[in-house]
Amino acid sequence: MRVDVEEKVLSENDKLAVGLRERFAAQRVFCVNLISSPGSGKTALLERTLEALPRTARVALLTGDLQTENDARRLARAGFPVKQITTGGTCHLDASMVGRALGEWNLADIDILFVENVGNLVCPTSYDLGEHCKIVLFSVTEGEDKPLKYPSIFAIAELCIINKVDLLPYVPFDLDQAIANVHQVHPGMEVVQTSCTQVRGIQDWLAWIERRRATAIPV
Amino acid sequence: MHELAIAQAILDRAQAASENNRGGRVLKIGLRIGEISGVEVDALTFGIEALSKGTPLEGLALDIERPKRRLRCTSCASEFEPEGLAIGCPACQHEASDCIAGNELDVTFIELEDPPCE
Repeated sequence: MRVDVEEKVLSENDKLAVGLRERFAAQRVFCVNLISSPGSGKTALLERTLEALPRTARVALLTGDLQTENDARRLARAGFPVKQITTGGTCHLDASMVGRALGEWNLADIDILFVENVGNLVCPTSYDLGEHCKIVLFSVTEGEDKPLKYPSIFAIAELCIINKVDLLPYVPFDLDQAIANVHQVHPGMEVVQTSCTQVRGIQDWLAWIERRRATAIPV
Repeated sequence: MHELAIAQAILDRAQAASENNRGGRVLKIGLRIGEISGVEVDALTFGIEALSKGTPLEGLALDIERPKRRLRCTSCASEFEPEGLAIGCPACQHEASDCIAGNELDVTFIELEDPPCE
């Protein structure tokens, strides 16, 4: 006996993600899902981002790793609400983890929710977390061909951040080629260049967030 | 290795189909895994075997379709299967296209043992 199914394998995750997206919309929360390899500087970028925001900004963060609370401790220094999601062995965040981590937070008190995914350019691509947009980050120490090696995330993300640009004089990284590679996979994709040690490009990134948030959550 | 989590989701779906059909044994699962879905078929097959071992699902067969990446030009609407990562339209050279196939990750069917005659 053959039962026709025709549904997405991750339909359970997708259903939960739809629920999260509805909650975010109802409470006017703009949610960003930040994805990169381990060590590209997601946490550092978020540290500089939080430092650049006024203390009154209504921002919250979820940060995913396999183990340790290290990232949450780093991010908590800025004084905004942070929760660590430790996945055990799982290489990505899924919608149920995000739903649990939001816990008793009152979403009405949050304007922007940053979700720092587990460091991985492959698996997080498949999991909808109910976010408004995925953002991919890679750094100049990784090689300019990252977009060609991991095209799915670069195709699906709305913004590409190239981090650690302060190291450009010291590494054989061809910035023009990197941007051309991004555009080969995703024509017209916006690219922001940042340095978290020299605090460069953070205002460009914040400006992008404000523009994107305005389209996601019209006044 | 998100294939393991995906394998579990597939097995859960097969188990549910069995329970909805008087516990009939699952013989085969049909899957559609696009070439850019980000899922490694060998790793997924291994995950399904490993997770089903010692359960009523052990020994089930897989029937896997592998759709190729297919794009539709946003300008002239012609459809094409690109070489490698290229996204340009071969008909009009337009540089933007929508992905219409190749990223599938679907369960298509589940084949169950016929229930015994009454």
